Amino acid sequence: MTSLDHGKFTRVTTTFHSLLALDVFALFFTGYSLTFNDELWWLLSLMGGPESVTALHRAAGFGLIALIGFWATLMITTDTGRSNFQDIMPTGEDIRAFIQDVQFALGNADERHPAAKQFAGGDTDDIPLLSYIGKGVVFIFAVELFLLTVSGLLIWSKTGLMQYFNTKTAAMGFVVFHGLLGVIMLMGVMFHIFEHGFHPAFYPVEPKAFIPRALIPETHADGGIEDLSLAPSWSTVSTVMGVLTVVGIVSVMVGSIFDEGYPVPRELTVGGGPESLLLTIGINAGIFVLFVGLVLSMYGNLLRVRWERELEEDRRQPAATDGGHPDDD
Amino acid sequence: MSYQEDLPETSGYSRVSVVISAIVGIVLAIVAVWWAAGTAVFYEGLFRVSPTVEGGGIGADWVAGNTVPWLDFLVAVIHAADVLMGLFILLMVFIHWAAFRRLAGRMRQSDEGSQQTVATDGGEAE
Repeated sequence: MTSLDHGKFTRVTTTFHSLLALDVFALFFTGYSLTFNDELWWLLSLMGGPESVTALHRAAGFGLIALIGFWATLMITTDTGRSNFQDIMPTGEDIRAFIQDVQFALGNADERHPAAKQFAGGDTDDIPLLSYIGKGVVFIFAVELFLLTVSGLLIWSKTGLMQYFNTKTAAMGFVVFHGLLGVIMLMGVMFHIFEHGFHPAFYPVEPKAFIPRALIPETHADGGIEDLSLAPSWSTVSTVMGVLTVVGIVSVMVGSIFDEGYPVPRELTVGGGPESLLLTIGINAGIFVLFVGLVLSMYGNLLRVRWERELEEDRRQPAATDGGHPDDD
Repeated sequence: MSYQEDLPETSGYSRVSVVISAIVGIVLAIVAVWWAAGTAVFYEGLFRVSPTVEGGGIGADWVAGNTVPWLDFLVAVIHAADVLMGLFILLMVFIHWAAFRRLAGRMRQSDEGSQQTVATDGGEAE
């Protein structure tokens, strides 16, 4: 069953996360229907062909720069923002948490390290703002988004690059660099979706990222994970999604070796890569995982709206203690 | 289930027939589209002219004209980074998958359809 657990993020952070997710999904769907054109030709057609897709990709890119600019400014100029820097710095605890997670997975440790826990129960202070994975996500995504933005702006209009390097292929080289760079983030986001969608205590989505901490009472989550009941569908769905995530990651990794760029592969094989049905199915499995992530992000926001209504109703009820019932409206 | 007690009993469809019908539907759709598309999923090959460097096919200038060594090196570095990070991310997926299964085993199981060990005496299932 879904458990709210403790709120960790502000309303601005949760809204930013949803907007960033929407924008990055748009960039993935447009960008990788070009890079992995052999496997995702249907997605390219669905979005109106190469002309339309490159325009959409640029529009989403513009949105990404605006989002990054907003977030960087907010983090630097506000006290709340600056106070976060300490919380995202990796420490020795994070390395211990990683080692203990390996041991926990192998059955050699009884508990996950506090810096790895997603479900805390008990006290709010039991878990840090970000787990060691959360810190890794922040750092890797920050570096990735920065480099992708820079290389993306360089290839925005390719004629300048061609003129500067005196060769047409230099522009193509940057396109290839841009596409291959995003593969790391593509794989990371697939893992991110699995990690936060299929934790048994939070399945099907961890509401922490969607419901602002100001709306979650600190006292409500008293018990441990033993007090929660497992959703009957968890075992099947998490297995299917785990398999799809692994297949998706392996496939885009293999695909990235062969598909260097659209329409120019390094080796001039017909189709630009191994014409393998298996790779086609695998990369499409990865795109499906991303689509599930998009749906879960919307579902998370739906949960927030429902939670807000529930809180509103709870707070309104004491006003009707004189015997009346507030359903006149 | 108790909350359904006052609801009327109606004749429905068994789960098996729904699943079989769904599979038939999907297979029919795949076969129909596959046939209509002439199995030419990789139609791109049709439009490739002389797909070799010697033949001067599309992309030949990428191989022939790729004269920026550091850019070539950068692309190679990113290839390596993709594979290394990919393997690391896979490790993380497996660690979390295993951890989730262990944590799920500690939670209260639903009464039916569970393949996990149920600790009926209230102890831990391990």
